[in-house]
Amino acid sequence: MAARGLLLMGQCMPCIKQNASKIRIRRMELDKNLNMYFKKDTFFFAHDPKKLCKTGDVVLIRELPERMTRLITHNVEKVVYPLGDITDPITGKKVVVGKYREDIEMANQLFGKSAKGFDYEKAPPRGRLEGSKDFTHGETYIKYHEDGKDQPFAV
Amino acid sequence: MNKLLNIANGVPRQFVRDYAFKSDLKIKWVRPEKISCIRPEKSGDLAKLPALSANELLPGYKDSKELESADETVLSLFKLSNNPNHLTTRYYRDQMIKEVQRHAQDYGSMEAKLAKMTASIRRYQEHMEAHPRDKMIKVRLKELIDKRKKFLKYLRRWDYPRFEWILEKLDLVYKPPPAHFHWITRKESLQKLTDIYCEKIKEERLEAYHKELQAQQIPYLEDAIKKMVFVRQEQIDCDVPVTVTEQQIENARQELAQLKQLREAEAAATRKQSDETFH
Repeated sequence: MAARGLLLMGQCMPCIKQNASKIRIRRMELDKNLNMYFKKDTFFFAHDPKKLCKTGDVVLIRELPERMTRLITHNVEKVVYPLGDITDPITGKKVVVGKYREDIEMANQLFGKSAKGFDYEKAPPRGRLEGSKDFTHGETYIKYHEDGKDQPFAV
Repeated sequence: MNKLLNIANGVPRQFVRDYAFKSDLKIKWVRPEKISCIRPEKSGDLAKLPALSANELLPGYKDSKELESADETVLSLFKLSNNPNHLTTRYYRDQMIKEVQRHAQDYGSMEAKLAKMTASIRRYQEHMEAHPRDKMIKVRLKELIDKRKKFLKYLRRWDYPRFEWILEKLDLVYKPPPAHFHWITRKESLQKLTDIYCEKIKEERLEAYHKELQAQQIPYLEDAIKKMVFVRQEQIDCDVPVTVTEQQIENARQELAQLKQLREAEAAATRKQSDETFH
């Protein structure tokens, strides 16, 4: 099985394991009784010591020749689509929903760009607010116990 | 645990209840206090609206030349604090939108919408503190908070740099919703706490065992070197083929020296740390 070196594409999920990323492979499974397709998720743990992928990124993972630990069976090959930083594959330009970033920028220039507004060039790479304002790098849970300590992931 | 003890103490089988199992562990569960969904700690607002300055005029009359020379009574009529509440809300809203908008005419972009909602939410929250029984505003506030959360979710997916920037700019916290909804029950919470407790014990014992094994490492190596030297000497003396080489002994000695160095460095590090905590 492992000798195949199978390549899979999936989405990175929040994960507490160190050196590893949890990847969700989503497939559609036919329910023969209802004759309908339903989502079916399989989870793999991919070795990722440099933390290449962040929650929500679409990544390619490759099967390792032999499993590294009890959990880790794959290796992160490449981040294909980082979350919220989409490049149009045909023109190679950056896209936000239905518009190119260039076009938005041009419209801003025409209307007189505000100095306080957001600027892509000044924006630092993703991840600076992790743990302070943005808690998407971990799984949240409903608070079930009051222990007097700060529980950042409790909702 | 009860069950095992009962069996060990020889309690007759027919008296042992194996359902409604109760744990002996002294784990105290404290039910978290319910926080209303409209409170800032739930909605994710870290900052409050700035206090209104007493001399703030209505936005439309700010640059009026007549008001500069007007007397106190007339001026007070144009002060924001002496005018209807919704004008103050509008003032805050415009202020907030101006901080984030893309250009002077921009009121419909995602960041402008979020700023507008944030201003209204904070204003409503202030109102709710003063009037806790105002159900109309409470409903409107809850709907606004949920909508803002949804918009933040979208913005995160569309444009991550902008999402992070707006969180910083508006002083918001974004926590994704938990995967499954469930009511908080005593039983389930205690199960989770017991799991955590067991995990902690496991880790502690493994750590202790690891320390114990590490402590045995140096005496073992010293003993091994002594025995290897002895065996080699015996083999040479008795004229039998020599199986223990000088190289092997030397390797073991090197390993021992390395290990001792490592331990000393660790001990020094812990000593330094304890000194720092002590002072």
